[in-house]
Amino acid sequence: MSRVAKLRHDRRAGVVLAVAFVVAAALMPLFRPPLDGFTNDAILALAYVVMALGLNLVVGFAGLLDLGYVAFYAIGASVTGWWASDFYSSVNGEKGIHIGTSDFVSVLPGIHVNFLLLIVGAIILCAIAGALIGLPTLRLRGDYIAIVTLAFGEIIGRVFANGDELTVFGDNALSNGRQSISPIDQINLPVFGEFDSATDLRPYYWAVLALCLVVLFVNFRLRDSRLGRAWIALREDEVAAASMGVPLVKTKLLSYAAGGAFGGISGVFIGIFLTSVNANAFQFGFSIFILAMVILGGLGSIWGVVLGALALGFVNHWFIPDVLDGETVRGWLDSLGLEFTFSEVTFGVFGFILVLMMVLRPEGLLPERRHQLELAEAAGAPEEPVSVTYEARA
Amino acid sequence: MEAASATVVPSRRRSEAVREFVSKYGLIAILLVLPVVYGAQDLSDDGNLTRLGNNLVEGLSNGAILALIALGYTLVYGIIELINFAHGEVFMLGSLAAAGLYGTFGLTPQTGTAGLIAGLACILVLAMLTSGTLNVMIERVAYRPLRNAPKLAPLITAVGMSFILQNVGILWIGASQKAVPDLIGSQEQLFEIVGLSISRGTVLAIAVTIPLVFLLTSFVARSRLGKAMRATAQDPEAARLMGINVDTTISLTFLLGGLMAGAAGLITALYQTSIWFFQGFSAGLYAFTAAVMGGIGNIRGAVLGGFIIGIVQGISDNRIGNDWTPAIVFIYLVIIMVFRPQGLIGEETREAG
Amino acid sequence: MSDGSGNGAADALLATEHVTKAFGGLVAVEDVSFYVKPRSIVSIIGPNGAGKTTFFNMLTGLYKPTVGRIVFAGADVTGTRPDIITSLGVARTFQNIRLISSMSATENVMVGQHARMKAGLFGSILRPPAVRREERAVREKARDMLHYVGLQQTQFDRLASNLSYGDQRRVEIARALASDPVLLLLDEPTAGMNPQESARLTQFMEQLRGERSLTILLIEHDMRVVMGVSERITVLDHGTKIAEGQPEDIRANDRVIEAYLGKREGGQAS
Repeated sequence: MSRVAKLRHDRRAGVVLAVAFVVAAALMPLFRPPLDGFTNDAILALAYVVMALGLNLVVGFAGLLDLGYVAFYAIGASVTGWWASDFYSSVNGEKGIHIGTSDFVSVLPGIHVNFLLLIVGAIILCAIAGALIGLPTLRLRGDYIAIVTLAFGEIIGRVFANGDELTVFGDNALSNGRQSISPIDQINLPVFGEFDSATDLRPYYWAVLALCLVVLFVNFRLRDSRLGRAWIALREDEVAAASMGVPLVKTKLLSYAAGGAFGGISGVFIGIFLTSVNANAFQFGFSIFILAMVILGGLGSIWGVVLGALALGFVNHWFIPDVLDGETVRGWLDSLGLEFTFSEVTFGVFGFILVLMMVLRPEGLLPERRHQLELAEAAGAPEEPVSVTYEARA
Repeated sequence: MEAASATVVPSRRRSEAVREFVSKYGLIAILLVLPVVYGAQDLSDDGNLTRLGNNLVEGLSNGAILALIALGYTLVYGIIELINFAHGEVFMLGSLAAAGLYGTFGLTPQTGTAGLIAGLACILVLAMLTSGTLNVMIERVAYRPLRNAPKLAPLITAVGMSFILQNVGILWIGASQKAVPDLIGSQEQLFEIVGLSISRGTVLAIAVTIPLVFLLTSFVARSRLGKAMRATAQDPEAARLMGINVDTTISLTFLLGGLMAGAAGLITALYQTSIWFFQGFSAGLYAFTAAVMGGIGNIRGAVLGGFIIGIVQGISDNRIGNDWTPAIVFIYLVIIMVFRPQGLIGEETREAG
Repeated sequence: MSDGSGNGAADALLATEHVTKAFGGLVAVEDVSFYVKPRSIVSIIGPNGAGKTTFFNMLTGLYKPTVGRIVFAGADVTGTRPDIITSLGVARTFQNIRLISSMSATENVMVGQHARMKAGLFGSILRPPAVRREERAVREKARDMLHYVGLQQTQFDRLASNLSYGDQRRVEIARALASDPVLLLLDEPTAGMNPQESARLTQFMEQLRGERSLTILLIEHDMRVVMGVSERITVLDHGTKIAEGQPEDIRANDRVIEAYLGKREGGQAS
């Protein structure tokens, strides 16, 4: 079989696998009770998939190390705090503003806007924010980009954390400072009606799965497009890319904007699902959490990032609190006289994953087909010639 | 590449000089905004500058600590062009080690002066060695294997190490701030100058920092190893060809940076009388800002930057609220990076910026 | 019949006027006035460090001249961004091959067409029929280009970093050609080639000029290639132009010989 045919054969197998995976994922909740811990963790993990795919656009495709990605989570979540709660209860003479809301919500004070419109709003705000954050980094080298984006992440986090002291559009506070904004409206969709996370998590699961699929679709389309190729060229060799006709400023800003938009989408969903928004969550650690997912899965590798996000999502919400800090393990540790909890060292674990991956397998668990050789070669790992890989797989 | 004749191209040189001037004094002007604004406010409110003066004094103590930490960043960046993200945690662990040693040496707030000085001198050395060794180990484990990898790789590893070390801190003293005995009575006034109260803590900070900086600068300027460091910083390949052991030189640089951070750690423990696993994150970022402000790779710049940021912090903590200080400092960081990445007195690093 | 001196001729495709590039105190290129007529093949030669690549970098917008003007097809392009200059019709190859190593040969050449494509962010996501057609056409053209430069079909989808040196050079040229340039800048294209390969490349350049109406500007060290293919040669040394003219004249020019070989004893070059 010619090499080209082998490639296509691989791709077909890959597609079958992917479809099977998605179908299994879609059917999963039918085998679980409506209110279920596993489903809850899966929902959050899928929300992180969206977030990580966004960061992958910036770090994986375009090669811009963004350490301030939490900014987009903050903006997306805050959008729900502003426009899907009674935070601005004095608006409209205390009667509130309602757009596309359910009957239950339509009589509540505050600004209440339909879920789908929140998503749109978050996309717009985060795209603009992304471009603004990216603007100062355009002429900077890699490590300086990291620091500047980190700084922005912190600045935005702080602004929200102190947002109770700031006012916008008159007397309205920007945020509730270090206190939660709660409750956030449930998702209300045209055909499916209003969800109720207190009685049934499954609609939320299917909603986030649908979001994931849309975002995955967008990612695949982008990767194999003029823009995707431009991003990768930019990542590898800016000078060559510019000489080929790639406009550097525009391409970089598009990456920040698009990446940020995904973060906003995920932020909206998480805000709603947790039915509360709290600025204390907008910390640098979150940026690293998402970065770890991308690194673990494979920079630039779409399925890799999905895997990384699911893995770390479950590690964070299930493996550490329920297994490692669960009764059995606790029992062992107590008998050894060790007093710490694994939850305390969660971020140490993620840090460890980052170090481990970079030193041992920098291309990630499911390397981007293209990226496979680059980092491995540089770090001194034995080179895997492309032809051998194909033969072995058949 | 051989130089062509050094013909001066007048119009271009002039416009470059103008840009240099504007960005340098523009930055200085922006830095002066805070003190000038609040100074004016003080004069109109109180009729004197005492409050601002006290802010400045506070800033000097913070600044000394930041200067020591900033030295670590600048030395490492100067030699391998890497931001040692874990350096803040190296400082933090030095602080924890120092505080932990109080008991070992039997130091309490009641200990007599002679005993205190002797004990603290020992602890200083031990804290410095702890941080120094830690820094060297980090380089060995996390950065050396990745020396030829794309720049992204060691940076990500550095971030990872930072988190691991933060968690070491949590395992050591727990997740909340922990008070430590006030061995020197750090807030007590030692003397007064022009109506400003100078506390013991401030004197200690300055008294420890100045000699250390002086020692470091002399070492780098005059010793053989110091020359090796500077040669490697300028051109590692050439240095290697001249017989300099680049690996050892790099380890030495990390050691020196770590020693400074360890000293900063002890000073902080004595001055703040509290330790916290998270103190390295903010101090680290502020110190990095300071290093960039002064000119990354430039030792004097790091010290200058440290004091400047310390003062900014002092004013901001007192006037705007210490919840806002991080945002303020980071805004300065962004401004510097964008408009004057070479800092106040920095030179171009190896790759033309 | 011109000897090539003086400022740009009226019908020049590309002209530079008193172009100088200084990096701080270091003057890499000094007061070079130069022009290229359409459909000609012109070489720039000179010893190492003469400023040839710096000059190229100014022509393609990577550096902004400290002093002077660059005019391309009648328009002032001094200091214009490299991607815009490419879209205007200037393409180049690099002295050290700069392919995107993690992309295949085909994909590299597809990126070369970036400036000629229209698909934007939303077009890339939604892929309406026009975008689909564009992608197909771009891929076709990439393959055509690779074919044209002589790459074996089996190599088309291999990662660029896995290709042989010669093949990588071919791909770089294909990538440059893919942007439909009017002016092609080749920076030491025969570096690392043996005489047969160099001769083939020389033929290929004539082919490009004839079949595609290309104007070619060449930096070269291989004198056989330079003398064989150039209509005019410009010699740079220490950043300045020391000679310009027909191959025969340059070959016999004392200053040029001196620049390459150094002064002989008694100050006489023979």
